[in-house]
Amino acid sequence: MKKKSESILGMAFFGPALVLLTVFLFLPMILTLIFSFTDFFALNPALTHFVGLDNFFQIFHDEDFRQAFINTVCFVIIIVPLQGLGSLGLALLINKVTHCKRYFKVAFFIPVVMSLAVVSTLWVQIYGPEGILNSILANFGIPAQPFINSSSQALPAIAIMSAWQGVGYQMIIFLGGLQAINPALYEAAEMDHATSWQKFKDITLPELKPLCIFVFITITIGAFRMLVQPMVMTGGGPSHSTYTMVYDIYETGTVNWEIGLASTMAIVFAVFVMILTVIQTILTRDKEEKHENKKAKNL
Amino acid sequence: MRTKILFCFIFSVLAASLTGCGQSEPEPGDVTGYDQGEKYLSIWVHCIEDTNEGKCYRDAVDRFNEQFDGTYFADIEFIPRNDSGGGYSDKINASVMSGGLPDVLTVDGPNIATYASNGIIQPLAPLTEEEKSRYLATIIDQGTYDGKLYALGAMESTVGLYCNKDILKKAGVEIPDAEHPWTFSQFLEILEKVKPVTDSLKGYALDMTFPIGEETIFNYAPFFWSNGQDITSKDGLKVDGIFNNADNVETIEYFKTLLADGYMSKVPVSNLFESGRAAFKFCGPWELNTIYTSYPDVNLGVAPYIVGDHWDGGRYAPSGSWAFAASTKTDDIKGATELVKCMTNAESGIALWKTTKNLPSTFEAFEQCEEFKSDENCRALYEQLREKGHPRPKTPVYPQVSTSFQQVLENCVLSGADPQTELDKAVERINAKLKRYMVK
Repeated sequence: MKKKSESILGMAFFGPALVLLTVFLFLPMILTLIFSFTDFFALNPALTHFVGLDNFFQIFHDEDFRQAFINTVCFVIIIVPLQGLGSLGLALLINKVTHCKRYFKVAFFIPVVMSLAVVSTLWVQIYGPEGILNSILANFGIPAQPFINSSSQALPAIAIMSAWQGVGYQMIIFLGGLQAINPALYEAAEMDHATSWQKFKDITLPELKPLCIFVFITITIGAFRMLVQPMVMTGGGPSHSTYTMVYDIYETGTVNWEIGLASTMAIVFAVFVMILTVIQTILTRDKEEKHENKKAKNL
Repeated sequence: MRTKILFCFIFSVLAASLTGCGQSEPEPGDVTGYDQGEKYLSIWVHCIEDTNEGKCYRDAVDRFNEQFDGTYFADIEFIPRNDSGGGYSDKINASVMSGGLPDVLTVDGPNIATYASNGIIQPLAPLTEEEKSRYLATIIDQGTYDGKLYALGAMESTVGLYCNKDILKKAGVEIPDAEHPWTFSQFLEILEKVKPVTDSLKGYALDMTFPIGEETIFNYAPFFWSNGQDITSKDGLKVDGIFNNADNVETIEYFKTLLADGYMSKVPVSNLFESGRAAFKFCGPWELNTIYTSYPDVNLGVAPYIVGDHWDGGRYAPSGSWAFAASTKTDDIKGATELVKCMTNAESGIALWKTTKNLPSTFEAFEQCEEFKSDENCRALYEQLREKGHPRPKTPVYPQVSTSFQQVLENCVLSGADPQTELDKAVERINAKLKRYMVK
């Protein structure tokens, strides 16, 4: 009887979440999959036809989509090491600092809580031809750089800004990891006269490895979803150099009203990110297992 | 069993509450001012009520309700539109699918063809010739698709070729009259003359950029039209051989010359013209207000928009803005047309000009606003619009045309790409979108 009432209570708690998830997540996902095989046009849904795999062929022949894909991958390649190593470096530094530790934590974390649109607008001014960054460069005798107005510099410029914005979040995670490392390990290393580098390489890094994998996966997935920064800072330009996959999906669906095509792009995007995540998860599992085995052997 | 029943109950209550978000027409008395015997008309506008533009629309609706008290009741809904164009258009897209369109809605000028060809808006009830003649020709032209009038605008827009008269004076250059605009070749000579002056000011002869969005096609399509060419065919269904023809390549080469000869900056410099370091700038009518209120030291003039060397004297200047149209959902096209007329009459136009500095759409409004008589720059913009205004391409694939136009100019001028190759690519992209309409 008790079991039954608990079950009812559980359902009562679970029900609202299920309804909301169904309406706002599962149904849209199913509809996206269905629309991806149609030529659904938002302004004239009555003329929708089933087009099979046409949309898939079309997007792979679409130069804009290919460009968006390359840009997104380039962005990921730049930002993942930059933000990942940056956050680890900051965490190591803050961990060593004895004074004003809280101040540094807050200072590095503030950009994370700021809206991306606000941060992007701010950096448009910083990167401007007569902005603060060019003024600093001028003091060192370096000529003014176009930054977000150049097709070769815009993507790295946005990546640096994004890394600056997000680095505080991963830094806090690493800091938690660093503080959880058993101090006895370092004490033992010191007794063996280990150098700082050896301590970092043989104690800190292996202890942080599971966290590293988690951080790198979250940065990768976040980077693939980049939209706000190019939308606010460059509008996808110059010459489509900051046009990302999510931006292409947005423009195709809402500006050009091609919901069918946008759905196909969304499916391809989701499958790509899913494959990448699965690969990373498999790698993580292996590493964790190896790590555990190594620990067991040492014991 | 009871668990299942409870679960189903919770599920259905929540589902019902979510579906309750749909719209239904209110009954008389549900809305203040909506009385028994009146026909209910809903209207959507693309801005926030708490802005000057929003207040003008609210006032216009109030005037309509007063004028047609006992016959019609208009209920206005404000749906903000964000910078990237979403918000308002998302709501329209969703309503097309769900069938919840209002009786009257605002439509951006170049989208009229798309909305009309997809059956979202319907032709207005016939207007008398006298009623039509109250509006600028550009408003009637913009609102007409396939020979039928679908929309009327409350405001108009154009782009001025603004000049710093002090710089021109130093360079010994005089602004020509509206009938004798500078041609491309003459303008290059003028730029060459003013360059030493602007160089000494650490500026550029021309404050010009190719921003992403609507501004690029709005500002620079006239360069193509005045050079005897076009971007799409008259019915908007063909671009091959039109957009990518040799004369348009020549026009793009002209833009490249402006950069190559150092008359414009490759990267946008903020407030270049406003700070007195540029001789010319292409910008919307709001620039007048910006200069008058924030940069009074700039000695401002407005020159006629420049024309191609092959100009035949026809209309070519930028024009077009948001307009009001009746949706296909309305079952009272006469009432909806009356509402559209009221929203766009002289009174609305004057209020919009006074509070937002958007140009009005009717002759009467221009005549009643003192600035268009006393201020030569305001008058120049009005005359340019009245005599030379040309609508943007009327095509159902306008968003793709606008995007491609911007990409071509940016890629060719700023990144040095080959104009013919870029134009051909643009044609290919637009053709892919046109397929849908060719089948129809």
